[in-house]
This record gives sequence, C-alpha cells and structure tokens, in this order.
Amino acid sequence: MTFIQPTITKVQPLLARHFSTVTKTSNNTNIIKRSVLISQSNDIFTNLALEDWFYRNYDFTNHHIMMLWRNNPCIVIGRHQNPWLEANTTNLGHIAENGVQLARRNSGGGTVYHDRGNLNVTFFTGRKEYNRRHNLELITRAIFKEYGIKIDISPREDLCINNIKVSGTAAKLGQPSAYHHCTLLVNVDKANLSRALQKREYEIKTNATKSVKSQIVNLCELNPRITIDDLLYVIGREYMNPQNSFQIINPTEQQFPGITEIRDTLRDWEWCYGKTPKFSVTKSFIGNFNSISKNLKFTINIEQGRINDMILYVPSGEEKVITSLKGQKFTEDIINCLECPLSGEENNLVDDKDRLVIECIRKVMISV
Amino acid sequence: MVISRVVVRAARLVNKSPIFNQITTNSSLQTVRLISTSRCNLAERFYTDKHEWVQVEGKIGVIGISQYAQEALGDVVYAQLPDVDTQLKQKDECGALESVKAASELFSPVSGRVIEKNTEVEDSPSLINTSCYEKGWLFKVELTNKKEISALMNEAQYTEFLKSDHH
Repeated sequence: MTFIQPTITKVQPLLARHFSTVTKTSNNTNIIKRSVLISQSNDIFTNLALEDWFYRNYDFTNHHIMMLWRNNPCIVIGRHQNPWLEANTTNLGHIAENGVQLARRNSGGGTVYHDRGNLNVTFFTGRKEYNRRHNLELITRAIFKEYGIKIDISPREDLCINNIKVSGTAAKLGQPSAYHHCTLLVNVDKANLSRALQKREYEIKTNATKSVKSQIVNLCELNPRITIDDLLYVIGREYMNPQNSFQIINPTEQQFPGITEIRDTLRDWEWCYGKTPKFSVTKSFIGNFNSISKNLKFTINIEQGRINDMILYVPSGEEKVITSLKGQKFTEDIINCLECPLSGEENNLVDDKDRLVIECIRKVMISV
Repeated sequence: MVISRVVVRAARLVNKSPIFNQITTNSSLQTVRLISTSRCNLAERFYTDKHEWVQVEGKIGVIGISQYAQEALGDVVYAQLPDVDTQLKQKDECGALESVKAASELFSPVSGRVIEKNTEVEDSPSLINTSCYEKGWLFKVELTNKKEISALMNEAQYTEFLKSDHH
C-alpha cells in the first residue's frame, strides 16, 4: 500500500472501494480473475472485430478482461450515427490517398478520431458487473499515481482536465456480457483530429445520435513523460491481478475462429453507411424553372444509406421527383450515373426538368 | 353478458381519452372503481428478468421496457426497433436503445411476428423515459406461442424480483 499518498484525501476512499468491490462477485464467494490483453493489430476493423469476438464468445462472469489497442488513422462513429454528418474522411487526403478509413462501432456515443497517439481501453465484464464510473476511476487513479495529473470524470462520464477532454467513452450492453471502451489522447495529431471531425454546413435532418463537440488536450502536453507504451503499462498494471502478466494477442482466424467474418461485416458499406438512421439532405439555391430564375429547394430522403425519394420545392408548391435513382447508394457514384445520359446523342432525350433534377442532385452531392 | 361487454367498451374509452380521465378524478366512486378493474383486466403486464414487459390482448402482444429499466438507462436518445414482419423468437436480440453513450440491446420477451413498431418513439425516444408503459411502448407482435407468457412474472412477482439482488 506504499502507493497511497496520504496528503491527498480524495484518493484513499477510491482505493478502499476498489479493493472491497472488485475482487469479489456479488455473492462474495468467487475471486474474479483480471487479465490484460494487448492487441498487436493497428487495423481498426480487426480490433473492432476482436472486441466483438470476445463480447460474443467469452464468458466474463468470473474473468474480467481489459483490452488495450491502438489504430492507424481512422474515424470511428457510434452505432446510431450518421457518417455523412459526423465524419470528414476526404479531408485527410494528405495522410491517405483515398481519405482515412471510416468505421462504425457497435457501442453508442459520438464520433472519435484515432491514430497511433491514441490508446484505446476496453473493459469487458458480465452485464451485471458493468460499471463505467468504476473503470474511469481506475484510469484516473493509475495516471494520478504515476504522473501526478489529476483527471476529473465529467457528468457525461468523459475524462477531463479543467473541462478539456483527454478521453471519450462509449459502451455496449447486452446479455450476458457488456463492455465499456474509451480513448485516451496521448499524443494524437490534433490538426488531423479537428479536420477529420469538421462538420460541414448543410441541412441534414435526422434523429441519429449527434456528437458533442469538445475541446481536447493530449496527455503528453501535461507531462512529457507520458508515452503510449508507458501509459499502457501503467493502466494495465493497475487493473490486473498482481501475479498475472500482459498477454500479447495476434488476432488471427486460427486463434479466434469467426473473426474474419466479423471483420468483413464491419468493413462493409452496408454496415458503415447502410446502418445510418434515415435522414434527409436539403439544398436551397437559385435555379431555372420554366426558363425563369427562381428560389428552389431540393430534398433527398435517404433510408439505409440509399436514396428513397426526392422532392423539388418550387414557388408553386412541391413536386415528387421520380428517377431511376431510387434504391441507389447515396455516394458520389450517383454523379457519374447522372453524367452518362448527358454525354453523346442521348443528350436529346433529357428534357429541361430532368436537367434541373440532375443539377439539384449534383448540388446536394457536392455539398455532402 | 351484454352488460359486461358494455363495461369493457366503456373502460376502453376511459383508457384512451385524457378528457374522460380528468373528469373521472372528480366524479363518483363507482366510476373510479370501474377504471381500476378495467385496467387489471385489459392491461395486465408480464415482465422478463431483463426488464421488458409484454401486455397481451388476444393474439397481439405489446412490448416495452419497465420503469426500472427506463430509470437505469437514463435519457434515451435513439431507439432502434425491429422492422415490421421480422420473425422473433423469445429472447432474440431485436433492437437497441441508446442512452448516455451506451447502446443497450433489446430482447423480445415473446415469440412472434412484428406487426407494428412505435414510430412516435423512433421520432421522440424520450417517450420511453416519460411514459414507458403507455406512449413509450416499442413494438407489437402477433404471438406464436401464448404459453410463453405463463413463464413470465406478473406485476407482484416483478416487484418482488426488483427487491432481490439478482436483477
């Protein structure tokens, strides 16, 4: 117990509570084993798949697990979020030619940016032992003891220093298992982070979960001694039973049968974009209608990531637009689709109204 | 027989009409008793140990989450409900409720085909917090096995269950 700092009164009750509740289950008979796994992968889809694999296949009743992992640059949205609204993958062309990867996780909450300067911590437990605040207290206690930095747990259960975030939290609760995971900003590229999460100004109507924008700070700015490897060790040690050691995990199909299939699902467009709660995008502009310049408004309704219907609002009222685009994925490919009939002789087949609709769709797509 | 049918119909009206409810609070004892008995007959809820409830009328089961579950979740910000025509087995995962950054899986307390989901709850998930037994219902199923209900807890059993440590 040499690590207790007697001058800090707030630390002691936390430690006491930690020892009394964590090592025993509710019926006070079985000692819970606590292990720490470190994923060797830096691929967001592999790590999310590994997390999901444990959640689906492992019995955490008497064995709680902490998983530590980090990723190459990527944007991770919450289970019920809208990537068109939250993420700006193309804004990071300088680090990845086709923009950074976008992933949808299974847990709730808002959008985060990951790179190798960010440590992810997952706490797996049975559903009954799920306790987010307890996990966050473990992290703040470990950091305080090692680096002397005092971190607060905000009412939204984020980790903050002077109301500036160093970590974001989310959770997935099921039966019989649950997990809570959080990010820890150690030395993340802040310029990339803010570009990745930059929101664009256009009208999207949705009841999808919205991210709460917050100021952030890297832990290395507060204490240059903090590195990812060091912090990983400090948090892992605080968590696991003293006699255990870290386990390095190589998430292969051989060791985790079925993980490839989970990874494929998580990478698929149908999951990342197709699972978006229904939404609509509206664009207002001045356009030609019946050869007169008018204020026009154009709305596309999107369900499961696909165009459901389109409405053109003209001064005399609204008009449902019928096109062959219904059911098409709401991606930039639509513009290519539209450009085909405009080229060559088929051009004559397109009437003025079609031309206007194509113009509307193009305007919306360029804005998204 | 005729009388009882009238009573039931009247009771249904009472349940649905907020104006009627307001009036009855000031009216005679007899009317008050009518409301309470009718609720027992028409609206008995059965609970799972995962805190979902189901209310059965004929072949149709209405499903929601309990007051306890609603309080434990906190403010619900998103409701992902099963689509109409989904075939559910008892205890199947069939959707999720998101609150304070946690996605909680939803389990069906009974087997059957989904015939309706509460689109008002999809648009305003906070109805689950403000009215978990009435406006905050989640979906309706056409039951395929009514016997499943007998294995669930009634109101009194569920109240006892909540007092125990095991939920």
